[in-house]
Amino acid sequence: MFQPQPTPYSPFSSYGAVPEFHIFQQSQSGRSGLAVDSGGPTIVQNPIFTTAANGNPSSNIAPALNFSNNTSTSTSTSRFEMAENNFDDLERQEELARSFQPNLQGSLVGEKRSSHAITEAYAKADPVYVAKTAALPQKYSHYRPVLGDGNCGWRATGFAYFETLLRLQDKAQLEEEIARMTSLNNLIARVGGFDAWMFEDMVEETVSLLRDMADSIETSPQTAEEILMQRFNESDISNNIVYHLRLLASSFLKSSPSSYQDFIPDNLGVEAYSKEWIEPPNQEIDHLGMTLLIDVLLKPIGFAVEIVYLDRSEGSQVNSHLMQPEDENGVPTNPSGPIIHLLYRPSHYDILYKDMDSSMPLQQALHDATLNPNIQVNRATSFSQQHAIQSTSMNDFTNLDLTSLLNIPGFQCAPPSHHGFPAQFHSPIEQPYAPSPISTSISPVSPGASSNGTSSNTNLSLSTNFSLQQSSALTSPAVNISHSSHAPFPPQNMQIPIHPGVPQQQISPHPGPPSIPTHPSISSQHSDLPSPTSANSPFRPSKWEWGARVTEQEGPVVFQTSTFKNSHYNTAHYNNPNFQPEEWSPECEEASNGHAGGGGGRKRST
Amino acid sequence: MASSQKRITKELAEVTSDPPVGIKVSLVDESNVHNWNVILDGPPDSPYAVCLLSHTSSSLANSKLIQGGKFKLLLVLPTEYPFKPPVINFKTRVYHPNITFDDKGSMCIGILKAEAWKPSSKILSVLTATQQLLSEPVPDDALESAIAEKFKSDRKDFNAEAKKYTKQYATGK
Repeated sequence: MFQPQPTPYSPFSSYGAVPEFHIFQQSQSGRSGLAVDSGGPTIVQNPIFTTAANGNPSSNIAPALNFSNNTSTSTSTSRFEMAENNFDDLERQEELARSFQPNLQGSLVGEKRSSHAITEAYAKADPVYVAKTAALPQKYSHYRPVLGDGNCGWRATGFAYFETLLRLQDKAQLEEEIARMTSLNNLIARVGGFDAWMFEDMVEETVSLLRDMADSIETSPQTAEEILMQRFNESDISNNIVYHLRLLASSFLKSSPSSYQDFIPDNLGVEAYSKEWIEPPNQEIDHLGMTLLIDVLLKPIGFAVEIVYLDRSEGSQVNSHLMQPEDENGVPTNPSGPIIHLLYRPSHYDILYKDMDSSMPLQQALHDATLNPNIQVNRATSFSQQHAIQSTSMNDFTNLDLTSLLNIPGFQCAPPSHHGFPAQFHSPIEQPYAPSPISTSISPVSPGASSNGTSSNTNLSLSTNFSLQQSSALTSPAVNISHSSHAPFPPQNMQIPIHPGVPQQQISPHPGPPSIPTHPSISSQHSDLPSPTSANSPFRPSKWEWGARVTEQEGPVVFQTSTFKNSHYNTAHYNNPNFQPEEWSPECEEASNGHAGGGGGRKRST
Repeated sequence: MASSQKRITKELAEVTSDPPVGIKVSLVDESNVHNWNVILDGPPDSPYAVCLLSHTSSSLANSKLIQGGKFKLLLVLPTEYPFKPPVINFKTRVYHPNITFDDKGSMCIGILKAEAWKPSSKILSVLTATQQLLSEPVPDDALESAIAEKFKSDRKDFNAEAKKYTKQYATGK
């Protein structure tokens, strides 16, 4: 059961450091390195705020996004060990704060990756973030992290500008851009008042990148892309290009002060604003700076920019703002032009992509998966595969190391994406794997699973688990909580999802379909029974474990099992779009642990 | 050549071809444009200039006999230059509120603060600002609070001390 954590910067408070905490979570901390909880957040190898490929997450947090310390449920054992070593929480935080240095060693502009990583990284954050990030991947399939060195907004926009030019594959347009950039030198020198000796080197980098891209765009777009990545990651070149953009924005501001001066903060005036907000090399871009940059760099060539705001504002969806070239009546002049998507989190920008045509090549996906074995791939497999499930014998699973299942992404994070799950997420993966025995067998435990998630195969195929859950969710009318007549808060007779007593081997090898536990009522009805699963098993209880009695309980689904409580179908779950936090107090929890069937439709309180 | 080197080379050419009064620049190592040796003359109107003859008779002679102390500075340009400011250290000891009175000779000057630095600032302007700092200490932004205190409370004594140390350390010997 997840509790919204009120103090964002307390990475370990919910783990070993608080002994009286919910027993389920204790078991979490007990298994160092393994994130459990079927509905919960999954493993994030790389906190998304940094681009360091193999960085240690605890030191990798960008300054403005410190709360991510809390959100990344990293597999890094060192962190958990620290927690287990009973490091005093405050002490540790203080130490972190003191020794904090933004780790800026990652690449300036990272590789494109699935935006599910964002969802995962926020999985334990503030509920607002959770809801918003959960919905994010449905609209934006990929994102590209940009290093948060104070230039991210400038760099992200600049990179997107070049990248969009590449995508258009128009050599003539690249040539035009070379001419335009060169001619803008006039603006910088005359209006901006900057000395040519200062900016000419910077412009040269911009122009030479455009030139090199133009030279290879027709023969080898791949090369052009590589050039772009390489240049933007070479700090000298990259910073020069970025500063060129700053000069352009500053000059453009000076060229039409009347349009912008009302937006200048603190009545600074154009000159002072430019000196204070645009010219200092590591000054983060502010809204006006972004507007200026878009106006001078992108609008003239018909590029629109959509900024997606991921912040604490109300709502379960990210707000977004489209800035596009418009005529004086506000009519878009190039409505079908390319759109650059930027993800804004307070003080940070990344680039988003809507690659709905699954333009991310398979190779790339596989490569990603190998690099980051914990990548989550949610496969929306066709529902017909349920037939395959039915023929799967549970026998196969009994002697496996089941703890490895804890690493299965699908177990942990099931974004509420069962409606309209975009097809592109599975297509690159499904193709190669569909014929393989692993994925067709639907087995939630493939033989490779025992390797603790180091094999990408494992993770990819195992995440079918999620799709199973999904399909069952779709078949059960009551699952859609938002339309359910039940109170948003499930009856609070919850059992801890620990069912001591019965060893795993006794899980009956039922020939029937391995059930997805759509039986939330189980624990209320049978809470007086010995629970069948072993005490430390992270598994949701299967109805087969309960024998035939359970089959009779096909009544309306109420969300009482721990599985459902822990799944995002529960409104009390932070991944649910209609998230309603539940209050929790340890005493109540303990007090009512022994009592079955307590509580009504409201959260428990003493 | 990386752009930062291009830029530094340009600035070096400017400073060496048309050196401002009282500032001499040379490279520590000819193959590395990032490290500069700078010799700064103490401004004549400051206690950092010394009178070489103890008895000055006429004011005409004065201007020739008074000579600035020679202060050696090391100016290091980071690889990120011009996006990061240069770093200046006094190699010669200076009795000054804004310069640490030790081996490091760190200097506190607004233009070099990371948050104030702009790529449009030139090394030349940094050097002239340093010169200016010798003439006009900023006791409110001091690194050596004792010296700053003295500067504020007892200017005469401060000048005497500064002169003494200039003679001791900065006469080019």
